[in-house]
This record gives sequence, C-alpha cells and structure tokens, in this order.
Amino acid sequence: MAVVVQAEAGPAPEVPGPSSRGSGGSGTGGYVLRKILGSLASLFFVTVLNFFMFRVIAADPVKNLTRNRNISVAAQALERKRLGLDQNIWHQFLTYLGGLPHGYLGVSFKYGKPVTSVIGSAIWPTLLLVGTSTILATIIGLWIGIRAGWNRDSKFDRISTGVTLTLYSMPEFWLGMLMILVFALGWGPIPGIFPTSGLIDPNLSYGSIQGMLNVAWHLVLPVTTLTLVYLADYSLIMRATLLDETTEDYILTARAKGLRDAVIRQRHAVPNALLPTFTLLILSLGFVVGGAITVETVFSIPGLGLLSYTAIQGPDYPLLEGVFLLFTAAVIVANLIADLCYPLLDPRVRRT
Amino acid sequence: MKLPSSIRRRRTVVALVAAMVAIVPTATAAMAASPSPSPTVSVPHGASTFTVGFQQDVDNLNPFIGILASTYEVWGVTYDFLVGYSQKNFSPEPDLASSWQESPDHTQWTFHLHHGVKWSDGVPMTSADVVYTFNRIINNSFEQTNYGNYVANIKSVTAPDANTVVFTVSKPTPIMLHMLVPILPEHIWKNISEKAVQSYPNENIVGTGPFILEQHVTGQFLRFRANPNYFLGAPHIKELVFRIFQDESTMVAALRKGEIDFADSLKSTSFNALKSVKNITTVPAVYSGFDEIAMNTGAATTTGQPIGDGNPALKDVRVRQAIQYAIDRKTLVDKVLGGYGSVGSSVIPPIYSALHWDPGNTAYTFDLNKANQILDNAGYKRGANGVRVSPSGKPLTFRLMGRSDSPTSRQTVQYVQNWLQQIGIQTNVSIVSEDNLTQIIGNGDFDLFEWGWVVEPDPDYQLSTFTCAQRSTKSGGTITAGLSDSFYCNPAFDQLYQQQSVTTNLNARAAIVKSAQAMLYRDANYAVTYYYDNLEAYRNDRFTNFKPQPDPGGSLLFQYGAYSYRFIEPVSDAVTTSSKTGLSLGIGAVVVLLLIGGGMFLARRSRSAAEDRE
Repeated sequence: MAVVVQAEAGPAPEVPGPSSRGSGGSGTGGYVLRKILGSLASLFFVTVLNFFMFRVIAADPVKNLTRNRNISVAAQALERKRLGLDQNIWHQFLTYLGGLPHGYLGVSFKYGKPVTSVIGSAIWPTLLLVGTSTILATIIGLWIGIRAGWNRDSKFDRISTGVTLTLYSMPEFWLGMLMILVFALGWGPIPGIFPTSGLIDPNLSYGSIQGMLNVAWHLVLPVTTLTLVYLADYSLIMRATLLDETTEDYILTARAKGLRDAVIRQRHAVPNALLPTFTLLILSLGFVVGGAITVETVFSIPGLGLLSYTAIQGPDYPLLEGVFLLFTAAVIVANLIADLCYPLLDPRVRRT
Repeated sequence: MKLPSSIRRRRTVVALVAAMVAIVPTATAAMAASPSPSPTVSVPHGASTFTVGFQQDVDNLNPFIGILASTYEVWGVTYDFLVGYSQKNFSPEPDLASSWQESPDHTQWTFHLHHGVKWSDGVPMTSADVVYTFNRIINNSFEQTNYGNYVANIKSVTAPDANTVVFTVSKPTPIMLHMLVPILPEHIWKNISEKAVQSYPNENIVGTGPFILEQHVTGQFLRFRANPNYFLGAPHIKELVFRIFQDESTMVAALRKGEIDFADSLKSTSFNALKSVKNITTVPAVYSGFDEIAMNTGAATTTGQPIGDGNPALKDVRVRQAIQYAIDRKTLVDKVLGGYGSVGSSVIPPIYSALHWDPGNTAYTFDLNKANQILDNAGYKRGANGVRVSPSGKPLTFRLMGRSDSPTSRQTVQYVQNWLQQIGIQTNVSIVSEDNLTQIIGNGDFDLFEWGWVVEPDPDYQLSTFTCAQRSTKSGGTITAGLSDSFYCNPAFDQLYQQQSVTTNLNARAAIVKSAQAMLYRDANYAVTYYYDNLEAYRNDRFTNFKPQPDPGGSLLFQYGAYSYRFIEPVSDAVTTSSKTGLSLGIGAVVVLLLIGGGMFLARRSRSAAEDRE
C-alpha cells in the first residue's frame, strides 16, 4: 500500500502542461517570466547583502589568521595587500562582482585554494547525507502521515505521532551519538557493525565499486539519524492536510458512489492533500546544500554545514561569501521550482 | 500520453529509488575527480597500519601557506629540518645536517649534510636544495610569512660542495639551530613561481621524511606509506593514517572500537572514562602550553601614544601583584583541568627544563589576606559597596573576558571573578570569540582576559611578545595589533631580550632567558594560571614502543620530530583488521540491495494493488 501514494506525488501526466492550452498562453508565460525575474532580483540582492553583511563582523582576518605566528607588522601588511583587504570596500565589492559572471569566487584565506574547489569538495558529502535523508524522510513520512491521517485516533496514529514528534524534538547530535554507541560500538546483544564516523575507509578511493559500497556502509548511521529527525516534518503535514480532506463533500460523494475506502483515499483524498507536502519537499531540497552541521560534526562528514562554520572563524570572507551565495541561490531556485510547479499540480493556481 | 496507471506508479517509485541508489555512485565519482594522489594499490588495513585520530583538518599542505598544528604534523613525517630537536630534552640534534660549527667570530655557520639522502621521488638530496629553500624565503616576500623570522639575520647561503652549506649571518644568531624550516626539493619548487606558490596545494609531497603521502581525501584522512630508504632508519610500521574527526566523543568511540590506534588532546572526562577500558593505555603528557590572565598594563602604540580604554589602576604593579596573590592556581588545576596540569608561574613552561625559571619562595601563592594588605597599603580603600577605590577616586572595576571557544577559559574566569571580589575588585565577565577578542586586545579596549600560548622550544618568539616593539601600531586611524597583548614595555626587559637573541652559547643564553622570566614575573603583566597536560590514549594491544618527548613524561605524538612514528612497533599478536574491509563491503552491498529490493517490492505491490482495484 505504502508507496502507491508516492506514485501520485510526481507531476501526473494527465495534468496538462501550462503552455499547452487554456486561457491565454501569454498569461502563463507572463507568470513564468515574472517568477524568474523575481528570483534573479532576489539573487542579486542577497549577493550584495552577503558581501557587506560579513564585512560588518568586527574582526580582522589577517590578524586572526596570523595569530600566534611569528610574523612582523610589515609582513602582516603584505598579507593584507595580497588578500586585497588594503583596498577600500567598494573596490573590493566591484572586484567580487566582476568575478561572479566568470564563476570566480576568489581564493579562500584559510585554505589558500579557490573557493569553488573548496566548496566543490564539500558539496558532495552534504548532498549524499542530507539529500538521501530528505528523500527517505519524504517517502516514509508520507506513508506514515497517510496511514495516520486516514485512520485518525487509531493505535497506529497515536503511536506514530508520538514517536515522530519525540524524534523531531530530539537534538540531532544526541541521537547521532546514541546511534554510534549502539550500532557502532555495540550494546548488549546488538553488534557494533557500523563505522563510528567518516565517509570511506583509508585504503579505498571513491572511484571504485568497493569505495562506493564502503561509502554506503558509512552513511547508514548518519542518514538514519537525519531521516528519523526529519520524519515528523512530512508525516505531520501529510496527516493534517489529509484530515482536512476527509471532511470534504467530495469524499462523501465518493463513499455514496460506493467506492472502496482504499480507492477513495488513494485516488481522491491523497492527491488533493499533497500540495503542502510537495511545497515542503521542494523547499527542503533548497536547504539540502545548507548541510546538517550537527550531524556532520558527530559523524565527521566534511560537508557544507561544517565548512560554513569554519569559514566564520577568521572570518574567511571569500569562503563565507561563496558558501552563503550557494545556500541562498539553492533556496531561491527551490522556491522558483515550487512556484513553477504549482500550476502543474493544482489547476486552481493555474486559473488565477 | 496516457499510460496505464499501474505502469505510471511503478515508474515513479522506481525512479525515486533509482535516484537514491544513484546518488552514491554519482557523488563518489564526483568526489573521486578531486585532485589528490589516489592509491595505486589497495593495501589491506593490517596490523602495521598505525591510525591516529586528528581533531583538526589540515588546511593546506603547502609549507608556505598552511599554519595549523595538524598540517605541521603532516610535514613532520614527510619533510626534515636541517637540525632537529632531541627526543630527550629538545636539545639540537642532527637531522639532515649530521654536524655543524659556528665560526669563532659568530658570523658563519657551516652545516655538513648526511650523505646519500634521497627525495621520495628518487632524486638525490644535496646542499643545493638547502640553499634553494633558504634563498627562496630570503628573496621573496610571500614565502616569509611563515619563516621570515628565521632568516632575518642571514646575509647569504652558499654550498661549497654537495654536502656542505654555509650561512653567513649579520650578527650572532642562536636560532640557526632551531629553524623549523622544512627543506624542500629544488627540482620541484623551482617550477612554481612566486605568484603560483600562493595557491599551490602541494598534494603530492616530495620530501625526505620517514613517510610518503600516498592518499589524501579532504576532510577524511591522509594515508602515508613508510619510506624504506629513510636516512635515519626505516620506520617499523608499513602505513600511517591520520584520520580527521570533528567531534571528540566520536573519536573516543573510534578508539574504543579499534578503528583508530591513538587519540590526542582528549577532554579530562573522556580521558578518565578511558582509563578503565581494556587494551587502552592513557597518558597525561606534560605539554608546552600555558594559560594566563593577561592584564592591560597601559595600552599604547610603539611610539608610546596611549590607546584604548583600560582601567589605569592596572598600570600600578601593586594592583597586578595583588591579583596574582588572589588566584588559587591549585584549585584551577584541580577543578578546571581535572587535575591534569600543574600550577603556572613563568612564561617558559617547565617542559623546557633547561630554560624554565622557577620562582621558588618568591612565588605568588594563594593568599587573600596578603592581596588585601597590598591593596590597603597602596591606598586603594574599600568603598561603601565593598569595591575598592583608587587614590584618584576611580573604582577598581575591571572587565574580565573569557573565550567562548574554550570551556576551560569560561570556567577559569568565573573562579577568578569570585576571588577578586574577595579582595575588593569588581569584575564584569564577558565571554567573546577568539576572533573578536583579538581585535579588542589590539585596540587596548580591555582590562583583564584569559588566554594562553603554546611555547616553541626556542624562547625567542615567546619573549619577543613582551617587548615594547610588539605593541600595536597606528597609521592613519587604523590600529594594527602586534604580538603583545598586555602592552608590557620595559627597556630593561627589552635589553635582556636583545642579549639572548645574540647569545649562541646555550648555557649563557639560558641564564639570560631565566632573568627575563624573573623580571616578567615580578612585573606581573601575566598571571600564568596553569600548564595544562596533553591527554593522550592509545591501543596497547596494537602498538608498543612509543617515544615521549621530552623523555620521560612528554607527548607521544605531535612532537618536534617524528620519534614515535619512526620507532613504534606492532604488537606481535595484534589482531589483524583486514577482514574489516570485507565486512564493510558486505554490508555496503546489503544496504544497496535493500534499497533496490525494497523499491522493487514496493513497485510490485503498488502495481498489484492497482490491478486489484481495476
């Protein structure tokens, strides 16, 4: 029964595309154009904000990066010049803007490497961890939410709501540590078969089949942790919206027609209840690149959450700007996708 | 196009599961594309692979860029210095140079190199490489950021023959035996311009050291193989792995489980918990770091222009001495460090026994009565609210800053606040980040703060931080911080500092260094609170024969040198863990199969359910 529901989550082909027909193609085109332009404007705004926001931090990166190093005042001045910090802030801003169209985000103060390559090596671990967890949490959460919402106050409803809420309110790092204690170290009869942390064993490389299987093995505990924490997001929203649907007239009509309960739920109630969950999913995908700093820390996964934390120390301006540009861009793109998908999913949005 | 609903559903489910299954290979393939030396052969993780837990990732393996302790440890096992530090007591010891002489007029140092040393790529190492390394630093500016102070007095470096290097110095220079400059291969670095070196990642390290970097996975681990031709003798282990942890408790779990063999910089609580664990040896090692309560002795620039808004009462040495007597260092060691450390006195820690000055019976032992008496005699009378007031009418109310980055710092300032209250000094505690505190100190906008230093075996740098020249500088409206954080300025001290920096006789220099410490102690710019231990633990069922530095009592790893790495041996009956990889593969495969199988099962169910209905 489970993922039948999921099947309806995707854009069903029977819903016609926005451009195909209907009341004025130009209206739809205008809608799409407006949304895209709006997103571009937001993107530019946050780019500017990102640049100036971090410069407000009252800390001198050169002094902080050379702290406790035997370095003369003259050498500090040279370092400041090398990092471009001797220029006035508008000059620095224009240099930064000038680099953006070429995909150049500067060189990280701390790592001495291009920001794009520092981010590039952190983005995949995050996508693996948070991306997989989000997808799993959606699938399982929807299933739980539908079962619980349709059979309100059943034993399943009460237990699942209680459990998911408990997991939701649990600190991620604490749940992660419990996972390590029980499933990595072993507890009582449970053998500690999973690794404590990391992504891969030190004699394998990512490129090989062995390496990939090894990564999957390492990801079991962190992904389970995050999935458990994320579950309530999806199950509770799905449950709540489905509950609303059950009192609608069309459900009564369907029952009057003599449809079986399962059919009413799957073909009528659930599709109508999917919109909020879908919104949540798309928006969460925007936050995926933000990483999960506590779980990344506990399981020593070198993702973007951790990277943003290290970037704040210093502060490492180019890296901070790069990381936050990515975060904000992802959220804006996710919003745009959600906006563009609504008309596909819900004819009512299309008509307005 | 309208598909039968059963097919549609199955497609969606399969697509979702496929996306999940595909994400691992896609991501791993992408990560594999990152530039790093990849393993040529997969060596099983056997009994002679020594795995160390690091709590800090490396920043950049280029010795002109990286600054973190973890990175220095990587260079420590892959490069060599000209002269090393002995395992016994940090005295100068042959490294690449087997012997050396200083000319009688102190203007020339001649180093004789070991014969037959080879770089890890097989090219012979000669005096030309040494000359190249030093000239590169002397002749360029970027290269000086990490090493400039070592070469400040060097006029020229020459190589009369393939195994001899001669340095001509402008004045007597004791630091010639303590230059922490990794010797680099000319044939590699000559191709890297001064511009390119500023972002050169040096991921394929070519060095002379006991280990050779084999594989580096960013944020995960660095794997080395032993250098069988190491000129001071091949290591007894085959492989070395530095594994990065972001969380101390996870690292401890990994040690208990046997995933790693060594853990360092442990918290006292984890350390105590590990004591009773089978097969684990715990070592509280003496360390070269101290913490202090620093006092604003009158913030000013190098030209003597006052800056900041420090309370002027702290310019009075009697107030600073009273504070010294009011700090119960023994309680700090017991409560803040959990007993793992010793009470602090002078600024060169006792780990450097040849240089450390002990105050003996002049020590500021905890005595609140004495502290009160000093302040009474100096004319700081208690006001109505119990807070003392200076003769000029200003209350003794100080700001006391602790570091948010350090739990021990936060605890220490609470204790100190309480003690100072008992001698009529009111403190307003604030907890700030190290970044912000650095800024605040440089501007002189503080009264008291808690921080610490890790002291090099050569005392020059530490003493330099107390010289007048290291106070802040001001040009235009901008204040640039120097190294000084107490703004201590005493011409007599500066003179001692100058003397030690031109005294090449080790004993004579030690005597001067001790007088300098005694002077600082009396002048009380710092209340050195404690010398903390480095808490280490290792698997005694896997490795033995660790070499502490100094011997006895010192750290087993993170040394000045690579002694433990070179001399440790696998315990003969150590359990081989090569089966672990097999197990991991098995479980990884099971996970992937479960995902695929689950997806197909669900897809089939959805189809059958759909068929049922129609």
